[in-house]
Amino acid sequence: MVDTIKKNIKAVQENLFSSVGSSILTIVTSYLVLNFFRGMFGFVMTSDKDWLSVLNNMQLYMVQAYPEDDFIRVWLSVGLTFVFAGLSIGLWRSEDRSNVSVMFDRLFKAGLGLLFFTIVAPTYTSYMGNDGFVITEEVFSSSSRLRILIPTLVITVGFFILKNLKINFSYNNSDAVFFYLFIPVALIWVVKLPTIQLDQNRERIIPDPLMPIANSTKIPWTIIFVSFLVSYFIGMYLKDKKRVKNVMSISWFLLPLLIFSWIFKKPQIDMGEVLTGDIPIFVIFFALGLATVLLINNPIFKKYFSLYLGVLAVLTIGGLFIGIPMLGKVCLLLLSLFTVVVPAVSTSKEGKRSLIIIWFVALVTLTFLLRGGASETGIVVPGSSIFGGFSLTWLLAIFGTYVSFPLGVLLALGRNSKLPIVRIVCTGIIELVRSVPYITWLFFASVTLAVFLPAGVEFNLIIRVLMVTAFFSGAYFAENIRGGLQSIPKGQYEAADAIGMSPFQKTGLIILPQALRAVIPTLVSSAITAFKDSSLVTIIGLFDFLTIGKTVIDNQSIPVNFVGHQRENLIFVAIVYWIFTFTLSRRSMKVEKRLGLGER
Amino acid sequence: MSKKAIVSLLVLAMVAVACGGSTDDAAEEVVEEVAMTTLEEVQARGFLKCGVSTGATGFTEVGDDGSYSGFDVDYCYAVAAAVFGDYSKVEFKQLTAAERFTALSAGEVDVLIRNTTWTQSRDTELGNDFGPTTYYDGQQLMGRVSDGLSANSTLADIDGLKVCTNAGTTTEKNITEGAGLVGATITLVTVEAFSEAIDKFIAGECDIVTTDGSGLVGRRAVNDALNDWAIFPTSPISKEPLGPTYRSNDSQWADIINWTVYATIIADEYGVTSANIDSVDYDAAPELGRLFGKNDGELQTKMGLSADAYYNVVKQVGNYDQIFSRNLNPLGLYREGGANDRWTNGGLVYAPPAR
Repeated sequence: MVDTIKKNIKAVQENLFSSVGSSILTIVTSYLVLNFFRGMFGFVMTSDKDWLSVLNNMQLYMVQAYPEDDFIRVWLSVGLTFVFAGLSIGLWRSEDRSNVSVMFDRLFKAGLGLLFFTIVAPTYTSYMGNDGFVITEEVFSSSSRLRILIPTLVITVGFFILKNLKINFSYNNSDAVFFYLFIPVALIWVVKLPTIQLDQNRERIIPDPLMPIANSTKIPWTIIFVSFLVSYFIGMYLKDKKRVKNVMSISWFLLPLLIFSWIFKKPQIDMGEVLTGDIPIFVIFFALGLATVLLINNPIFKKYFSLYLGVLAVLTIGGLFIGIPMLGKVCLLLLSLFTVVVPAVSTSKEGKRSLIIIWFVALVTLTFLLRGGASETGIVVPGSSIFGGFSLTWLLAIFGTYVSFPLGVLLALGRNSKLPIVRIVCTGIIELVRSVPYITWLFFASVTLAVFLPAGVEFNLIIRVLMVTAFFSGAYFAENIRGGLQSIPKGQYEAADAIGMSPFQKTGLIILPQALRAVIPTLVSSAITAFKDSSLVTIIGLFDFLTIGKTVIDNQSIPVNFVGHQRENLIFVAIVYWIFTFTLSRRSMKVEKRLGLGER
Repeated sequence: MSKKAIVSLLVLAMVAVACGGSTDDAAEEVVEEVAMTTLEEVQARGFLKCGVSTGATGFTEVGDDGSYSGFDVDYCYAVAAAVFGDYSKVEFKQLTAAERFTALSAGEVDVLIRNTTWTQSRDTELGNDFGPTTYYDGQQLMGRVSDGLSANSTLADIDGLKVCTNAGTTTEKNITEGAGLVGATITLVTVEAFSEAIDKFIAGECDIVTTDGSGLVGRRAVNDALNDWAIFPTSPISKEPLGPTYRSNDSQWADIINWTVYATIIADEYGVTSANIDSVDYDAAPELGRLFGKNDGELQTKMGLSADAYYNVVKQVGNYDQIFSRNLNPLGLYREGGANDRWTNGGLVYAPPAR
């Protein structure tokens, strides 16, 4: 015991007060931090803040005007994500174990921090009153301070004892996730929150009565929690099946597309169009792909293969401007890409069979998603965008990453290509996109893009913004990835050539995996930037998460007046942004560690 | 063969693209020649596209379930009720001050009801026309009573004070001009949005805050500062008539919007509200009979609307007084004694007769 204290004192001396300079620094910084905390605490607690302006507008923050009757679709999206997360955690269940006493140590430290901040929190705070004189208000009475202090002290001491008992019990890190989720789900059943209630004269009842959380929130979350648990066990059961893992990885990629084209959207399907349009196109393209795979070893076909590829390329680009259905255009593009990989993979019978399966599944998925995505939506909202708020921020962030990442890889490879035309086009796109500010591109999407599209083609504003965003972050991804490509020593290329790899094998198996691994930190920071930049869409009239907090809520006067409560909402928005970006960067650090970045 | 073939094919493809592009342009031009009137376009589309503000308390608000409400929003509903007989057939497009006129002239919205001040240059230079004024506003100043200011203060009293306002608007020009005329020296602090100006005012960083009177009264009521803050001068330093805006050269559409506003005003003159409209005695009030299409609906059908178009407006949205009090009374803005009172009470709200 005495030893520990001595050790700690020594550590403090060494780290904080080692010289005169560092002592001054320590004192000045801790003074600044303390003052910031006290100011913040006083600001949050003063009686002129209405934190219910945040709580009361949760629905607006999440989906904006999305109709309540269709909320089942929102819950389905959230639920599907949790089910997939449960399956993945089960499938990739780590064998890492943590000791209970390590956790107790952390909790003890957190308790100490809480104790410290409860003690230093200010009792009084002052702010400027309406009449121009400073008002001093009690924000943290000594009785409420004691009410927090005593239980915290008891719990902290408890953790201190538990920690020093050195209990030899460890738990699996993956299992702990379910425990972390259990706490909030259990809490929503017991916690009561202040809620805005109106009396007969439609006046707000003050103080706000405490009400339990509505069943429409509690029940979906509980169901989601249970399905998360079930899928976790299913995932654990299927742990050794490699194929399931592959399917899971692809499903993660398709999940957002499925959510946005079928679940969020409520597509109105015209069966006649499906029968006369989609099914014939599907059959034709499946037959073409099948023929390519089967004929690839035929000497006559081999001779004319590059010509066939060229014709496909021409048709793909030309097809964009002819009046063929959207599905036809996308299928042409997919067929060209597929034909490029066929010679490399279809060397064996096994390879051919899996190629055919992949082709079939890819076409089915494509037709399905495109039909949902291109259909009219059955959801009626008063504004011009189907949803706003956090859903829109997420949509832009996910697509900013999902669509632009592959695009970035292609652009980066194209820029390093030996074919001059490919190189020039890719360099041109990258330089053009990067040299114009994002806001300008947004205005381009909102005002000018319609001029460049073929006649009769009209996209929703959100889709236009997504197209521009994909190219914008794609160009930045491309430059990051090019950095990775250049870091690969020439010997790697030569070695791949020496063992007779084809250019595609060389790129896919040797170069890209190393290049991407090298640029993970920059890629993550690009993704975070895309997430935060999504708030710029406010200038073209889309309502993202930040705009709701900054502009919309600050203007509400009916039935409850929230005018002048912008700052509370901005703090809330900042915290939510911070939680997401912080989680993202911590996750990426774990991935780096697992890939051994900087160690090899 | 392979590389050369691919390159030449790509070039071919580009030529094809160029050709395809030019034929598309030709097709577009043909389409544009058969232009529809705004009314036909709106009716074919099935809903009205109405340009509103991104947020103006009392005028355009978004509720906690994403629904729209407010004085301007109600006039959007009124136009939809006149055109479709169903007030809910509106798609709101929230526009910033910078993009509102571009959006209108590009056809992204059919009508702009976005607390837009009617000025000569906007009327003549931008290809817009303005409808009847729905709200008479004017720029005023707000200061603290503890600084010796009262409702009777004038611009000369702000000599040497710090004035906060939002940048790039006519508000800024008006106050500089006004203060210069009376010889008052002021320090102008410009911020991006009005809410920031108010925050600075509350924090004591500026002594005066200035914007349209409706905004000042609203904020004073919200902050419970009726006795602490004074709004002056009594007659505003600028005129800000706010009303609907539409594209020039489509008088049918202009008439529809204008008479939608007039219908709400006439209904108010007769005291007809959405509650009592079904018990109106049309023989005693033949003007109402004509306006609501009960005795004779020819006036409306000549405009391309159904005979009961304005009946629907008052029935579904309400008369001027209802729209005003529903949205602006909670903010402390009242009609009585102001410019927005009935003309019979000395106000400016007046409509030509329906006959």
